Amino acid sequence: MAAKQSKFLIGALLIVGAVGYLIYTSIQETKVYYFTIDEFLLNQETLANTDVRVAGRVQDGSIQWDPAALTLTFRLMPIEPGTIPVGALPPGVAVSYQGILPDMFAEGRDVIVEGLYTPDQQLVASTIMTSCPSKYEPEIEERLQSS
Amino acid sequence: MTHLGTLALYLASVLAVYAIVTSLWGVRTRRTAWIASGTQAAYAVGGCVVVASIALLHALLTRDFNVEYVASYSSSTLPLHYTVAAFWGGQKGSLLFWALIHCLFSTIVLFQNRTRNQELMPYVTATLMTIALFFLGLLCFITPPFERLSFIPDEGSDLNPLLQNYWMTIHPPALYLGFISASVPFAFAMAALATGKLGDVWIRTTRRWALTSWFFLSLGNLLGGRWAYEVLGWGGYWAWDPVENAAIMPWFTATAYLHSVMIQEKKDMLKVWNMTLVILTFVLTIFGTFLTRSGVISSVHSFTQSGLGPYFLTFLAFILTVSIGLLLYRLPDLKSENEFDSLLSREAAFLFNNLILVGLAFATFWGTIFPILSEWVRGVKITVGPPFFNQVNGPLGVMLLFLTGIGPIIAWRRASWSSLRRQFTIPLVVGLALGGLLFVLGYRNYYAVVIFSLAGFVLAGILAEFSRGTRARQVMLHESPPQALGRLVGKNPRRYGGYIVHVGVVLIFFGVAGALFTIEKQITVSAEQSFEVGRYTLLYTGITEREDAHIAAQVATVNVLVDGQQIDTMYPEKRLYKKQNQPTTEVDIRPTLVEDLYLVLGSYDEPSGLATFQVFINPLVSWIWIGGLILILGTCVIMAPNPAERQAFALARASADIRGEAVAE
Repeated sequence: MAAKQSKFLIGALLIVGAVGYLIYTSIQETKVYYFTIDEFLLNQETLANTDVRVAGRVQDGSIQWDPAALTLTFRLMPIEPGTIPVGALPPGVAVSYQGILPDMFAEGRDVIVEGLYTPDQQLVASTIMTSCPSKYEPEIEERLQSS
Repeated sequence: MTHLGTLALYLASVLAVYAIVTSLWGVRTRRTAWIASGTQAAYAVGGCVVVASIALLHALLTRDFNVEYVASYSSSTLPLHYTVAAFWGGQKGSLLFWALIHCLFSTIVLFQNRTRNQELMPYVTATLMTIALFFLGLLCFITPPFERLSFIPDEGSDLNPLLQNYWMTIHPPALYLGFISASVPFAFAMAALATGKLGDVWIRTTRRWALTSWFFLSLGNLLGGRWAYEVLGWGGYWAWDPVENAAIMPWFTATAYLHSVMIQEKKDMLKVWNMTLVILTFVLTIFGTFLTRSGVISSVHSFTQSGLGPYFLTFLAFILTVSIGLLLYRLPDLKSENEFDSLLSREAAFLFNNLILVGLAFATFWGTIFPILSEWVRGVKITVGPPFFNQVNGPLGVMLLFLTGIGPIIAWRRASWSSLRRQFTIPLVVGLALGGLLFVLGYRNYYAVVIFSLAGFVLAGILAEFSRGTRARQVMLHESPPQALGRLVGKNPRRYGGYIVHVGVVLIFFGVAGALFTIEKQITVSAEQSFEVGRYTLLYTGITEREDAHIAAQVATVNVLVDGQQIDTMYPEKRLYKKQNQPTTEVDIRPTLVEDLYLVLGSYDEPSGLATFQVFINPLVSWIWIGGLILILGTCVIMAPNPAERQAFALARASADIRGEAVAE
């Protein structure tokens, strides 16, 4: 009897082990560090050649979009100006992207950029996520009141 | 009306408290009048919530923009069906909708059991009303849906354009039905633990509810995928977004339960495990609601960040404490003397399938909360995206598919070699032949080859079962083939309905595996320019503008040609929803059984006249939806009235009664 039950135990352990192994290795292979732009700027020396995800704001007047080549460059800036002393850090980070613009992408919008931070201090984005529309719901009250 | 609605919600909360107290007090003091009064109060809670819901619908339909919820989620130009959908389109309304469905389910359960399960029912009432009270409390004190503005706006700010889609009108209700019906088996599990009546009765009573819950969870996930596919416009249907994960996790554990419960029915084993799965499924539904509403994890379809998080966490902690406490208290009574006999048995297949399903739920959970965990432990937020989930859940899914081919046809207890040979020769030959054929045809994507071969293996096994059963009836009872097939299924709907569900699941796997062959292309063209994608030539002929009071759209016209012959014309759009000043992308999809041609108008640059398109060729996607329909059909067959089941149920109840009397004497 005991031998029979131990066969089940071994089978179960194999599955549990497989699940654990898959989780562990996949996290090692696919992990992406998530920073706010402030955290990113503070640590950027150590982040060259790393996959990162950075949340920040699109700087006014920084967007360059070539609709024929589908190339986009812009600067990602801190959301709250003044949290970092002026001059202490480089102002924001240059982002380059190739692909279709997300619907909500515009100057002054808060975005999350995911991509590779290259040694020449460019963030080469693979995805740009605009904050979901419901984030703008607090504005409704203001808009309603002004109308 | 809104005052009435608010009043109804307060009254419902008070009545829910009353129902909980009287039910429990009635059991304690053995006074049936108290218990009956508690049940009546629970019915009244349902009535009050219905009144509140009608009040909110009334405010939406009469466009009472003084009500903050109405002004925030609808507008005077919003079409009628989306105005109704706005009921669950925002945070507050969806909580009310949740309370409404929960109370309707509670009412049905109490009515179904008005003369049955008298020992269990007071605890069931108390559990269901505790859950109702939580949502009612939120509605009364934290997110009041009838809150009024200090002024009357001329116009509302409209429902989020992404939600203005017909799938979106039915996807959230389907998912809610699945989430909420999970509370019925949970309530009976709590009652069984509280009373110590841990036999078959509670399981058989809730079997249909567990199935219903599983059915709606499946439907909700499929419809959600369909919505994402048509509306989000990134070419896929599933992105392992936290909210999607929230919806799939309870599906994994509910699926595990539906299988392992058969072992309890047959062998009186795995009682603790089953109890755990019921609790886990319910906890995951509440956890899912917490994920969507608390804003702890950013996601494309979460609600506005709100202060709801701590309340949900407290409620979760409460549920876990009570249920784990009760489970530990009854642990000695849940032991079973039976043991598993052989690895080559249906029990073993089910056991391993359960471990994999729970593994899938755990991996999904781990990946979803990893940003929070890593921030706690290491102070850095580390996220994992779709590649993580695909890498972990992909192989686990393949193992599960393999077991899907074994579990339903292998013998219970211990399979002999001769029975194995009889059962598995055809499926193995079909599976291996299919794999070999694909290899010879030049397919070198081994992942896909394995999935397709396994799909053939499982389908062949199921078809062989159907044909064996049908032929036996033909020979022994001299029935015609259709008659034999119909009676075969009718006599044992649970078994054959289960097979049909499996066919649906296999087809869904088949469709998902098509994603391994997706082709994507981005291109910018001017009018009358054409480009090639896969076997298609696409000719962009120009943009037309279309405008009404609600939206303004730029519609591209694209001719689809194959071998120089025009086969179709597609119209992808860019839309601007005027009330919210929000641009959205409307994709155009040309589905066939082989592949979908999925066309996105990425951008249109007016000065230069250049249009950017994103084109996907998504093989086999249609099979996901076909598989979904077959899954629905199969579940309906399982739910069909079943004389054998009713007999077994009566027997279980009678034996429980006899045992109960024996104790009383």
